[in-house]
Amino acid sequence: MKKLQLHRRSMIRGLGASLALPWLEAMSNGAQGGSQCDASNLSPKRAAFFYIPNGVVQSAWNPVDTGADFTLSPTLEPLAEVREHIAVLTNLDRIKVAGTDGHAQASTCWLSSAAPDQLSPAGYPLKRTIDQLMADHTGQFTAFRSLELSCNPFEDNKESIYFDNISWFGHGHVARSIREPQRVFQRLFKMDQHVQSASVLDLILDDASDLRRELGKNDRRKLDEYTESVRTVELQIQRVQDRQKELKLINPKRPIGTWQAMRRDEFIQIMGDLMILALQTDLTRVASLMTAPERWSTPVKVEEWFEAPTEHHSWTHGQGNNHVRQELAKLDRFHVTQFAALVQKMAKIEEAEGTLLDNTMFLLGSGLSSGELHVCNNLPTVIAGRGGGQFLTGHHTRFPEGTPIANLWLTMAKVMGLSSERIGDSTGTLERILA
Amino acid sequence: MCLFGMLLLTGDEVGGQTFDYHQIRGRLPSQSDIEVHEGESDLTKSGTSRFQSLAPFGPHWSQGAHLLWDGAVGDIFTTDFFVEEAGIYDVKIQFTVAPDYGRFSLDLEDVPISKVVGADSTTQSNDFQVTVDLYGNDVALAPPVWLKSVQLKRGTQTLRMRLTGANPKASMFKSRGYLLGLDYLSLNRLDRPEALPEKSGPKNSETVSENPTKSLTVAEISSQLGQYCFDCHDGSSNESDLDLTAWRHDTDFSQKMEEAQAIRKALKQNEMPPEDADPIPTEVRSRLIRSLDSLIQDHLRESLRVAPVIMRRMNRLEYNNAVRDLLELRGDIYPLPEKTLRPGQPYFNPSSGRFPRSIVVGNRTLGKNQVERQILTGVSPFALDLQAEGGFNNRGEDLSVSPILLESFISLGRAIISAPEFDSYCEIQAELFEAPEGLTLAQEVELASGRLSALMERAFRAPVQETTLRRYVNYFETRCRETGKFTDAMKDVVAAILASPRFLFVRAEETAEGSDVPSSAYPLANRLAFFLWSSIPDRELLELARTGELRQPEVLRQQTERMLSDPKCQALSQNFARQWLRLDQLITAVPDFERFPEYYSRIGCEQWKLGLQSMMEPLLLFESILVEDRSIMLLVDSNYTYRSDELHSWYTDEVPFNRRENRNRFNTGMQSFRRRQLSDRRQGGVLTSTAAMTMTSAPLRTSPIVRGAWVATVFLNQPPPPPPDDIPSIELDDREIEAQGMTLRQRLEQHQINVACASCHSKIDPLGFALENYDAVGRWRDEYSSGLKIDSQGKLLGQYPFSDAVELKDQLLRHPEIFMQAFSEHLISYALGRELEISDQMWVEEIVEQVEADHGQFSSVVHAIVQSPLFLHSPPTKTSEK
Repeated sequence: MKKLQLHRRSMIRGLGASLALPWLEAMSNGAQGGSQCDASNLSPKRAAFFYIPNGVVQSAWNPVDTGADFTLSPTLEPLAEVREHIAVLTNLDRIKVAGTDGHAQASTCWLSSAAPDQLSPAGYPLKRTIDQLMADHTGQFTAFRSLELSCNPFEDNKESIYFDNISWFGHGHVARSIREPQRVFQRLFKMDQHVQSASVLDLILDDASDLRRELGKNDRRKLDEYTESVRTVELQIQRVQDRQKELKLINPKRPIGTWQAMRRDEFIQIMGDLMILALQTDLTRVASLMTAPERWSTPVKVEEWFEAPTEHHSWTHGQGNNHVRQELAKLDRFHVTQFAALVQKMAKIEEAEGTLLDNTMFLLGSGLSSGELHVCNNLPTVIAGRGGGQFLTGHHTRFPEGTPIANLWLTMAKVMGLSSERIGDSTGTLERILA
Repeated sequence: MCLFGMLLLTGDEVGGQTFDYHQIRGRLPSQSDIEVHEGESDLTKSGTSRFQSLAPFGPHWSQGAHLLWDGAVGDIFTTDFFVEEAGIYDVKIQFTVAPDYGRFSLDLEDVPISKVVGADSTTQSNDFQVTVDLYGNDVALAPPVWLKSVQLKRGTQTLRMRLTGANPKASMFKSRGYLLGLDYLSLNRLDRPEALPEKSGPKNSETVSENPTKSLTVAEISSQLGQYCFDCHDGSSNESDLDLTAWRHDTDFSQKMEEAQAIRKALKQNEMPPEDADPIPTEVRSRLIRSLDSLIQDHLRESLRVAPVIMRRMNRLEYNNAVRDLLELRGDIYPLPEKTLRPGQPYFNPSSGRFPRSIVVGNRTLGKNQVERQILTGVSPFALDLQAEGGFNNRGEDLSVSPILLESFISLGRAIISAPEFDSYCEIQAELFEAPEGLTLAQEVELASGRLSALMERAFRAPVQETTLRRYVNYFETRCRETGKFTDAMKDVVAAILASPRFLFVRAEETAEGSDVPSSAYPLANRLAFFLWSSIPDRELLELARTGELRQPEVLRQQTERMLSDPKCQALSQNFARQWLRLDQLITAVPDFERFPEYYSRIGCEQWKLGLQSMMEPLLLFESILVEDRSIMLLVDSNYTYRSDELHSWYTDEVPFNRRENRNRFNTGMQSFRRRQLSDRRQGGVLTSTAAMTMTSAPLRTSPIVRGAWVATVFLNQPPPPPPDDIPSIELDDREIEAQGMTLRQRLEQHQINVACASCHSKIDPLGFALENYDAVGRWRDEYSSGLKIDSQGKLLGQYPFSDAVELKDQLLRHPEIFMQAFSEHLISYALGRELEISDQMWVEEIVEQVEADHGQFSSVVHAIVQSPLFLHSPPTKTSEK
């Protein structure tokens, strides 16, 4: 197993002052068990996805002009300070499949690698999502193959899993997200308890393989999900063990309090900080953060921004009304502000080559362009960071109508080092945004 | 998703008489069980009567309190109690005596009392009246007064107590009169009917055999269809996607099952042919239906095909229950908000046959200080699994094991056995984890092996193969060598067992696909236990699974009955009812803080909502139906309900909570919920409960479409399809709408001029508008705040007209098959852990027939499901021959 070396130190402005830690530069010192070579990668490439539900107010989102001199639209205004680090991409589409709920489909299929005609039994074109395909590749180098986070503020059991998840191992097999900051922290930095349990893994793995022989086809599929998870955890434990010493040095402080007690912006920022921390320390190279689930139709407080609780989903259907539309655009701006704050933090973290942001593809998007009509054409998309110098930033590019968003996934996959030729209904890569 | 439409609806029922579903009561309290009406809580208060705690005077009073009254000589104190069944009773009245208590004459309004047994001071003045002297040196219980063999009618009874004077030794109360203390009144029925009402046996659905005409063959059916259907269903017409061309040439029925089911449904529900096509004569239609029925049944019987159930992972409530029951723990392992009702003292005891009249209970879900913070130190639950759309969170397809969850399972097992409280929490701690001193390793291994063999059979709910046992015993041996301690090693194995896939997955079938009928009844025992208990089978059930006896219908029936008498069946309320009613939506319901301040406990405090109390009402009603084995139709409309005083005031008082303004309007802690008789039919049942009305509203107005969709989903099991994309916007505040001189209904109708929208909304919306008289927090209103009239008329299923909510209830009671089918379908889907499919239709109909025959008695629904081939996963036995 590879050892990572500690090179120099820096500070992250995460979690306010409560979480200050030495910066770790993750690097490898040799080839990977005869397989892929990661040695050239002094500062590995990372990918992160920041999801906002229910679409956006299109008229306030889309910049009017294109190119490097484009003017930020009202909603994207909060990105002014990091303008040089971002690219606004418009006219990227997903083909909507009739017959399933527009919202559930938006979250579930946004990152899916399935083409619109490849329906899963649940009725969605749902296959292993792009982040998980990336993790299949990068997971060989990191302790955690991927990190899924959620700032779902709802405590009820109102909508199905399809509204609440963007990351999937495959249909019926969700990559569950964590929404308690303390648990994320525990998982990333306090793996000792799992190390203790390692001996159980062999036992249950053997038991599972016996059991498999007794099962029919469908049941086997379910058991295989279990087995795959045991293997993932097994690797995780080994790798965390290998990195125990370094991780002890970082000794970050545990976030304080439960999410229920946090302000809305605090909740998103703390989750974002934990995500940045995991990327920075190379505990993982792929992460996703869902700011809220689709639909849910439940009012939520957004402190300081709004006096009364916000009603994201209801507002999307009321945006014909001028006042409602303005409120909705303000809520969009709130989400963009949260994204911008995280981009700024990433831009301040220096790595061997450039900053963390330079080495990351940090994507802001939604599975609907507008919640009003559940449209999937011209999905809101902003990419921050250069993916290790491979992306051009500081521009707005409008693609020809009907360009599949899968083309973006394919482009990102290639930057991450995947050899895929096609993802979902992709027709090629987006050459115009590559350096 | 809606699969089946309604059973054939036969227009207006003859006479329109509705059955009184309150008669149905499968479980009666045992003889010795006496119905107690507590003075302080169950009896109605009037005049100066009030609650008084008697804790300072000792533990002798029932519930530690009595009802206190005072008055001047000549004053009369009356109180009401409700008699549920007419009959002959011994009435016992327990008073309190004290130095300032008076003499009273008692009577039960107009009820003759033939015989009184009591203390010396008790005399009977005439046939109707009794006198008692409540003077005593100290505060103490009075000798009980017995009114023997009193004939009582069903309904409200009034006990009248007239203050006639006082014992010479008595001192006056506040120098103007005397007191009375009433601890309780109890009723002991003397003429109890012998046994449960005779149940109608499984109905033989084959009245068809009397039919003179023979069933049609496939070819004959095909030729009939040719005449009426092929014009449109020919694969090329734009009229329909259903292509029946294959029926022309091919007589292989096995390829046509899906189509046959679809045709049968369309014919049975008069959906086809459309109005503009040639009608099918009634005889031909019914003959076609019958023929298709029998072909489908034959086919199902031959193919033994019930849709497969995917192996599923336990959800967190099931995991908790399974660990609790496996290790015989004293209670839960972690806090579970899913278990909404948090009892002050145990109250759920089905074998008693009576759901208590008064229950002290808190809301775990919304009473944030009522979730037990920690039960076992260091043990916390994994994330809640979300409900499937229109279904439950126990479907294999949706329940996967991600790496994070696997981490949870591994650390949970460890955390449970290493919690500091574990040893005293585990009833079988010594039997399982302790070993005598001085054993050799080999002896220890042998001891462990024996214990593990038994434990693993229970944990894995299946016969344990030698290799599997060996594997875990070896693990024990390794750990024992490493730690040198039997107990520690044993705990390690138990933690491993709890992370095994054999423990975590509920397997519906034992054998691999393609092999024959399951050899043992283990899978059946599993399904039964997870259905009724949300847990693993107990020892008795496993024994019957081992021998296979469980497969015998009578044994299965007895076991089902036994399980429904076990307090563990409360899981049906915690896991099924809560999800079926989608009560979770109340958690996040946020009526506008300014518009509905009284929904919140106090000014400036948004944390405590009335949902704290209202959420419990439907669940307690459900539990009372379950425990007393009443009819599920009471969920539509009931003449009783369970409410706290505060919740009751919400429903009945113009100004609820006595105008409490800037202090807590209502209690946020545990509350006493009492059974209340309802005479106002606008209340009662779940349909019109405050909980349902609030959670289906928007912050500033009702939302008839959401309400309608809820009613269609929950009560009709006909959830609307996903809404179209171009949903027009509607004002979020009804005041804005009314300011334009329009009601919400008119505004919504304005929007549904589009035909595509209207087709769905014409089904959903009337159900929502029927409930428009209940405002966004569930209070009755006669008109909108602007003075505009509320229009709540409509038609149920487009057929049965109603003019308001009460008439909607009436229509549902008049056509009970609608709700019975819906409820049964929900419960079947829950029991099976899968969505229902078109191929299930025949079995579902059989179940519903049984439920109808038993007037919706709760146990009847359960028995019908458990005995169905759908649940047995086996071919139907020969019940019907053509």
